[in-house]
Amino acid sequence: MKDVLASLPALNERYSMFSCIASGADTEEPKFLFSAKDNLTSKDMETKCGSRILEGYRPAFDAAAVEKMRQYGGRLIGKNNMDGFGFGTFSTNSAFGVPKNPFDLERSCGGSSGGSACAAAVIEDHVSLGVSTGGSICCPASFCGVYGIAPTYGRVSRYGLIDYGNSLDKIGLLSSDPAALAEFLPVISGKDPRDPTSCAQPPLDLKGKRIGSVAVPEEALKGISKDVLSAFESSLDILRSMGVEVKRVSMPSLKYAMPAYYILATSEASTNLARYVGMRYGRQDGDLSLGFDDYFTSFRSEYFGDEAKRRILLGTYTRMAGFRDRYYAKALKVRLHVISSYKKVFEDHDAVLTPTMPFAAPKFEDISKMTPVESYSADFLTVPANLAGIPHLSVPCGYDEDGMPIGMQLAAAHWAEGPLLTFAEEWGSAFDVRRPEVPL
Amino acid sequence: MRIGLEIHVQLPTASKMFCSCPTTDADAPNTHVCPTCLGMPGSRPVMNRKALEYGIMLAKMLNCEIAETTWFSRKTYFYPDMSRSVQITQYDNPVGSRGTYMFQGKKPVRITRIHLEEDPGKTKRVGDQSSLVDYNRSGIPLAEIVTEPDLSTPTEAREFLKQLIADIRHTIDLPGDGERSIRCDCNISVGTERCEVKNVTGLRNVERALTFEAVRQTKVLRAGGKIERETRRFDEERGVTISVRKKEFEADYGYIDEPDLGIFHIGELARSVSIKESPAEAAARLSREYGIERKLADQIISTSTGLAAAFEHIAKATDAQTAASWTAGAVSAYWKTFETLKKGPEGIADIIRRFRGGEMTDVEADIELRAYMTGTDVRAIKDAGADLSQIVNGYLDAHPEIVGEIRKNEKAVNRVIGHVMKETGGKYSSADIVAAAKSALEARL
Repeated sequence: MKDVLASLPALNERYSMFSCIASGADTEEPKFLFSAKDNLTSKDMETKCGSRILEGYRPAFDAAAVEKMRQYGGRLIGKNNMDGFGFGTFSTNSAFGVPKNPFDLERSCGGSSGGSACAAAVIEDHVSLGVSTGGSICCPASFCGVYGIAPTYGRVSRYGLIDYGNSLDKIGLLSSDPAALAEFLPVISGKDPRDPTSCAQPPLDLKGKRIGSVAVPEEALKGISKDVLSAFESSLDILRSMGVEVKRVSMPSLKYAMPAYYILATSEASTNLARYVGMRYGRQDGDLSLGFDDYFTSFRSEYFGDEAKRRILLGTYTRMAGFRDRYYAKALKVRLHVISSYKKVFEDHDAVLTPTMPFAAPKFEDISKMTPVESYSADFLTVPANLAGIPHLSVPCGYDEDGMPIGMQLAAAHWAEGPLLTFAEEWGSAFDVRRPEVPL
Repeated sequence: MRIGLEIHVQLPTASKMFCSCPTTDADAPNTHVCPTCLGMPGSRPVMNRKALEYGIMLAKMLNCEIAETTWFSRKTYFYPDMSRSVQITQYDNPVGSRGTYMFQGKKPVRITRIHLEEDPGKTKRVGDQSSLVDYNRSGIPLAEIVTEPDLSTPTEAREFLKQLIADIRHTIDLPGDGERSIRCDCNISVGTERCEVKNVTGLRNVERALTFEAVRQTKVLRAGGKIERETRRFDEERGVTISVRKKEFEADYGYIDEPDLGIFHIGELARSVSIKESPAEAAARLSREYGIERKLADQIISTSTGLAAAFEHIAKATDAQTAASWTAGAVSAYWKTFETLKKGPEGIADIIRRFRGGEMTDVEADIELRAYMTGTDVRAIKDAGADLSQIVNGYLDAHPEIVGEIRKNEKAVNRVIGHVMKETGGKYSSADIVAAAKSALEARL
């Protein structure tokens, strides 16, 4: 473990997966090392959430998940780089350098938990905490060729999570070892009175049944790259050989998930980001001779990134008087509709199976050419399960001609993380996962 | 003239609405604060159930319909003392709605809604160039009561508020300095368009602000002008209202649901919570049930609810008229001391029942009552009374004209009081002297 710690600065130089690295050594040898996405608060490390506006924020408390990992004997080695406030699919919206894909430095490692996935892929025996609002765990897990699980909404306490969309945010895990997910999910799960939304959960049952049948919605296979489609099709053969029944289904409501998600997520985000005004924490070095309104405006103009500003504008619009019913209130109804259509599928199947992302990790030069809508659309496979608050898992399932990883995603019923974790381990012994070459 | 009020009441919870910081007065600014009420990133709110309970009690007191499920919303606006730039309040489905509150026993005032919200911190200007913010108040629970514009004059609004505050205090045991923790937004229209005067503190200021507004609006209308919908504030020193912003510049608060708190199923709780009879209700009931004057009922209630209970005991042991005169007289006179003894009112009722049954004279009953209610010995009172009655009798013997005067006009007894006070150097209380004079007069019949 000492070697790992010693190699962190050099690794970070190459991959930019941390926005902050732990300094000094513990006197006690920890049981294991872990890292945490930088939107989870940590007492001993600056927490910037990928945004300049939070530079200098030293939280007074550990996030519940970080606290539990430490209590379990873990040592937090760094805070994972991320899209500012979780706004992005490629981690290119970070103010602190862009994390690089370990399989090809010219490519993205996905987002918004890009640094978490990169660390999971690059560091031996590593587990990292990620956060998913619309797919921010599964997307980077898929691009970096690691396992990632986003549990049911409310399974892991959000105490200490810097909010993006409070009704959607879920804290989960990424690792190259599927057994690590099963080991650490029980550690970070459980009721926490500091987050009332965590208090309705039933116990986590890991001895639950295995996944015996999966439903593949035909809507999920449109607009998918050839490489992804062929990797996905061959995975279906592996699944069948494992004794898993594969059925094609139709889930027409999935297409409404995207607009509903972006309305709810940005509506909530725009209220969450209202608190960043250059007072009390983070950067506070604005021009004090200004009136408070002008001070707030100048501060927010200067230190929020473009994507944060875009989402604040979107989310403020969708909750304005006169538009609230048309957008925000309607999106709430759509969410219920999407949940009920999942429930219907789960009457006959244990999971909904799709590719995780419609393409393998793209090159940065291609990302820079994308319009915001194009990059938002890349999330169309991860968003529905996130909107519904159901647990979902991404596992590596193939590699394209350039050797870039491809992932597939299984979404299960509320609170059914057990079968997903069992599946991850089964899959791990049926599929050969490749590790990136790390020249250190 | 139509007047509607929005009344903000700080609820007397021990801790804040969404965190465990104390609500008591702090020694220094920003000492009763934590990550939650400072809105630090990563912190989140947890509902103080007691605040919900107080909200339900007030909703019941106002005869509101109480929602089966209630939830909170985010109201977004930027101000330095609003730590999250988001206030947690209620927008859809408040705790209570569509209530009626009976004013002075005869005028029903419609209650639009009652909802719960958190107080922001306080901004204090320091010189021309800077302000300081104190977040000790941030997160103190508030109930906001909104009335329909059913009040007709500034004086009526003040009287209404006075009665309402007494009822609120009584219902949720708001401490005595509760008036300071009650703030009011006043809506008033003389013509068709209304103006809102924000954040007025104190009964007198409510009346002053409304009176100023009424005059101002009337003048504008008489001069052929038009009242514009706007928000104004009240300058306490100058006694005037000043325009703050016109309607088109009103903030759009962009309400959305507060996802961190979830939905509260309060139906069951609401059914199990019982509230004490409010003072106004109690006065109305005493007057109705016992046929006593409303004014006397109000006096009894405003002295203390314990006195009202004693009155009811006496009335049951005797009759309403007897109870009314004794409660207004001797029982009220000794009430303050009696309350400190923490005895039951049954003893009082028993003494008066014995008087009523002819077992003793009113003077004897008075002595018994005084002994019981002040915890003194009957003999000691009698001895003291003997001296006193000698002095009184001596004076009346010397001035027989006073006897006739007192019979014509009770106030003439003041001359007796004056004489005895002078003679004894204030040894006897005026109540004792009046009692001695009364018994002396009766003896002379």
